[in-house]
Amino acid sequence: MRGAPLRIHLAFKLATALLAVAGSVVILMALTRLIPGDPATVILGSRATPEAVAALNARIGLDRPVGEHVLVFFAHLLSGDLGEDVFNGRPVAGLVAAALPNTVALAFSAMLSAILFGVPLALLSARNPGGKTDRVVAFLSVGFISTPSFVVAVFLLMTFSVTLRWFPVLGAGEAGAVGDQLWHLVLPTAALAVGWIGYIARLLRSSLLEVLGENHIRTLRAYGVSEAKILMKYALKPAILPTIAILAMGFGELLGGAVFVEVIFNRPGLGSLIYDAIRTRNYPVVQGGVFITVLLYVLTNLSADLTQTLLDPRERSRLAAARGT
Amino acid sequence: MTFNPTRRQVLIGGASLATVVALGGTHPAFASADRTKIVVRVEKDLSNLDPANRSGPIDLNVIWSVQQGLISFKPGSIEWELDAAEELEQVSDREIRFKLRSGLTFTGGYGELTAEDVKFSFERFIKPDAEGKPVTYAKDWAALERVEVTGPLEGRIILKNPAPALYTIALADGSGRIVSKKAFEALGKDIATKLIGSGPYVLKEWTPREQFVLEINPDYKGPIKPHFQQIVGKPIGEQKTAEIAFRSGEIDFTAIDPESGKELAGLSDASVTEIPAIDYVWFGPNIEKAPFDDIRVRRAIRYAVDVDAILRGAYSGLYQRANSLLAPSLLGYWKDAPVYSRDLEKAQALLAEAGHPNGFKTKLTIESTARYEAIAQIIQANLAEIGIEVEIEALESAAYWALGENDASKDLELSLIKFNGKFDPGFQTQWFTSAQVGQWNWQRWKNAEFDALHEKGGVTVDPAEREKIYIDAQKLLDESAAFIWITHNLNAFASRKWLKPGVLPNGNNWLYTAFTEATA
Repeated sequence: MRGAPLRIHLAFKLATALLAVAGSVVILMALTRLIPGDPATVILGSRATPEAVAALNARIGLDRPVGEHVLVFFAHLLSGDLGEDVFNGRPVAGLVAAALPNTVALAFSAMLSAILFGVPLALLSARNPGGKTDRVVAFLSVGFISTPSFVVAVFLLMTFSVTLRWFPVLGAGEAGAVGDQLWHLVLPTAALAVGWIGYIARLLRSSLLEVLGENHIRTLRAYGVSEAKILMKYALKPAILPTIAILAMGFGELLGGAVFVEVIFNRPGLGSLIYDAIRTRNYPVVQGGVFITVLLYVLTNLSADLTQTLLDPRERSRLAAARGT
Repeated sequence: MTFNPTRRQVLIGGASLATVVALGGTHPAFASADRTKIVVRVEKDLSNLDPANRSGPIDLNVIWSVQQGLISFKPGSIEWELDAAEELEQVSDREIRFKLRSGLTFTGGYGELTAEDVKFSFERFIKPDAEGKPVTYAKDWAALERVEVTGPLEGRIILKNPAPALYTIALADGSGRIVSKKAFEALGKDIATKLIGSGPYVLKEWTPREQFVLEINPDYKGPIKPHFQQIVGKPIGEQKTAEIAFRSGEIDFTAIDPESGKELAGLSDASVTEIPAIDYVWFGPNIEKAPFDDIRVRRAIRYAVDVDAILRGAYSGLYQRANSLLAPSLLGYWKDAPVYSRDLEKAQALLAEAGHPNGFKTKLTIESTARYEAIAQIIQANLAEIGIEVEIEALESAAYWALGENDASKDLELSLIKFNGKFDPGFQTQWFTSAQVGQWNWQRWKNAEFDALHEKGGVTVDPAEREKIYIDAQKLLDESAAFIWITHNLNAFASRKWLKPGVLPNGNNWLYTAFTEATA
C-alpha cells in the first residue's frame, strides 16, 4: 500500500473541498431567500402592483421552493448551465466567463507586483534589523497595510487619470487589445497591491529574521560567506514558505474580493458582477458568481497546499518516507 | 557582433521605456474630442430592451432612440410631436385614429412598419404573453379595448373609457413604441436583448457591463434628425467614479450630484445643467398606528419639523422646497399650498392636547443613503425638541422597497419616501388611494373623496377641469397632516461645453436623438 496515505490525504482534501463548495451554494440560496426584497421589485420599479410582481416572480421561477431551486441548480450544473440572468435571460455562465479573465488578470498582477516590491523590501529590512532602512520600511509597510485599497484607488485616479491623464479611469480595455488592457490594469493593480506589498514585507521580514537566527546561518557566517549570499541563497528559501501560503490565500480572496477596486475603476470583474447582482437581487447571477468564486478559492488553496509540499524539503522527505514504509 | 544584454541592461532599458511612455504618452481615452461621437455615462447597464418589459429609464432611453412611436416627446418638454404617425386625431373620448408615414422600415430586414405592427405592439399590453402572464407594463394600456386596422398604414385605437393620460403615460412613452411583429415572432425571448426598430438609431453593440453603442440608422426616414453619428453608453454605478471619469475626459455627459455642480462647472471644458425634477420626497406617519391615528399628533409633527433646515442641511440649500404633491411644471400644481413654518409652541400644545405632553418613542424607516440619513438625523433632532424620541432604521435599497410587498408597511411608524414622478398628475395621485394601502400607500391613509377625485381626474379630458380636480385632491392630502413634503428634487448634469444634452423635464429620461452640439 505504498503511497496510500498520500492518496487518502488527497481524496480527503478533494472531498472536503467539494463539500465546501456545495455547502456554500446551499447556504447562499437559503440566505438570499431570507433577505427581504426581490428582483421583481427592482425590475418593475418601486411601485409595482402585487399582480405584476407575482407574474414576474412566476416568470423567473421565484415562486418555486428553495429546495427545488437548489436541486435544479445542481442538476443544471452538470451540463455547465449556471442559470439565466433574471432581467434578460442571458446565460449566467457567459456573464461569469466574461468577468473572470478581468478578475484573474487583476488578482494575478496585484500579487505579482506585491511580490516584486514586497520581497526586496523584506530583504532590505532583514539585512540590518533595527537600522534606518528597517525603520523606514516598517513605517512604509504599516502605512501601506493600513491604507484601504479604495483610498489608494481614488488617490491614484485623481493623480494619474485626472491630473496627469496617463492612465484611463474606466473599464478593462478594449477586447483583444492587449496593450490597452495592460494600460487599464496599471492603476487597479497598484491600488490592490499596495496593501499586500506592506503585508509581504512585514511577514517575510519576520520569517527571515527567524531563519537568520538559526545555527546553520551562524555556521555560514563563520565560514565567511557574504551576508548577501546568506540572505538570498540560504535564508530566503525557507523563509518564504509561509509567505507563499498567504499569497495563495490572498490570490483566492482577490478573485471574489476585489469589489471596491472593481467598482471604483468600473472594471467588469467577478466581484463587481456579484456586487451588482446582490443589489438587484439577481439570484442566479449571485449563485453562479459565488459558486465560481468559492470553487476558485478552494482550488487555489489546494494548489497552495501542494506547492508548499513540493517546495518544502521536510515535506518531501516525509512523503518519501511514507512511500518507503 | 551579437547583442547580449545583461540582466541589468534589460532592467534599465525596460524602466527607461516605461518612463518615456509614462511621460510622453496619453491614453487614447483622453484624446481630443471627436465631435461625431459622444460618450455618456448611464447609472447601470441595459437590462431588458423589450418595451413592454423594460426595466427603467436606462432601457427606455435606448428603446426611444431605436424604436418609433406614433408620437414622441419633444426635446426638453412634456409635450409630444408626431413620429411614426403622419396624422393622429382624437375623434372622440374613446377613439384615436392614426395614419402612419409611408416607407418606414424596420432594421434587420423585418420589412415595412405597418398598422398591423401598431396593433400587435399595443395589444400585447392587454393580452397574456406566451407563458400566459401579463407584460410588466400592462397597466399603461389598461384603458385599451382594441386596435382596429383599417388599412395597411391606418388604424383606430378604441378605448374602454376616456384616458387623457394615455398620451404621456403610454403613446409617447416606452409603452407606445412600435415593435416589429415579424421580429418579435422570430426572436422569441431574445427580444429582451436584441433591439429591432425603425427609429433614428440602431443598437450596434451591447457588451454587457462594458458599453452599448448607438449608431445612426442609415435607412431611417422619420421626422427626427439625430445629430451624433455614434453615442456610446458606459454603465458606471458609482457617482464619484463617473465624476472622476468626466474630469479625466473619458465621458462627455453624466448625471451628477447637484452639490458637485459648482466644482465641475469650474472646469474649463465643462458646463453644468440643472433641471428641477418632478419627483416627490416626503415623510409621514403610518396613521393606522397609535399615536399617529390622532391628527393632533400628526399636526404637531408637521409644526416641529424644520423643512427649510432639511433643505439646507441635507441638500446644501440647492433644492427647492415642495409644499404639495405635484411639482410646479405639472398640470394640477397647487401654487397656493400652505407653507408650514416651524412652531414648537404649537407643536407642544397639540401634543399635550393629544395626551402626550412628554412625547413618545417612535421609529423612522429610511432607505440607506447618505442624504436620507442626513434628513433622518435632522428630523430626529427636531422631534427630540418636543419630546419625541426617534430611532432611525436605515434599510438597504431592495429591503426598503420590499416594504411595498405583502402588506409589510403595516408595521411602519414614520417613513421617509421618495417616488419618481411622471408627466401626468394621475400617475402621482394613484399611490395615495385607498387601494394602495398595503402596497405603496405607506401612510395607510384612506379617503373616499380623494379616491373619487383620482378616478375622476383619470377620465376627465378638459385640462382646466383636471387641474381643479388634482388641486382639490392635494388639499385633502394636506388636511390629513400625514404628509410632510420636502422637495421635488433637482437633476444636475455635467457635459462638455460643446455638447447640449437632450434631457426631458423629469431628468431621468433622455432623448439621445436630441443630444446636439451647443451653439456658442
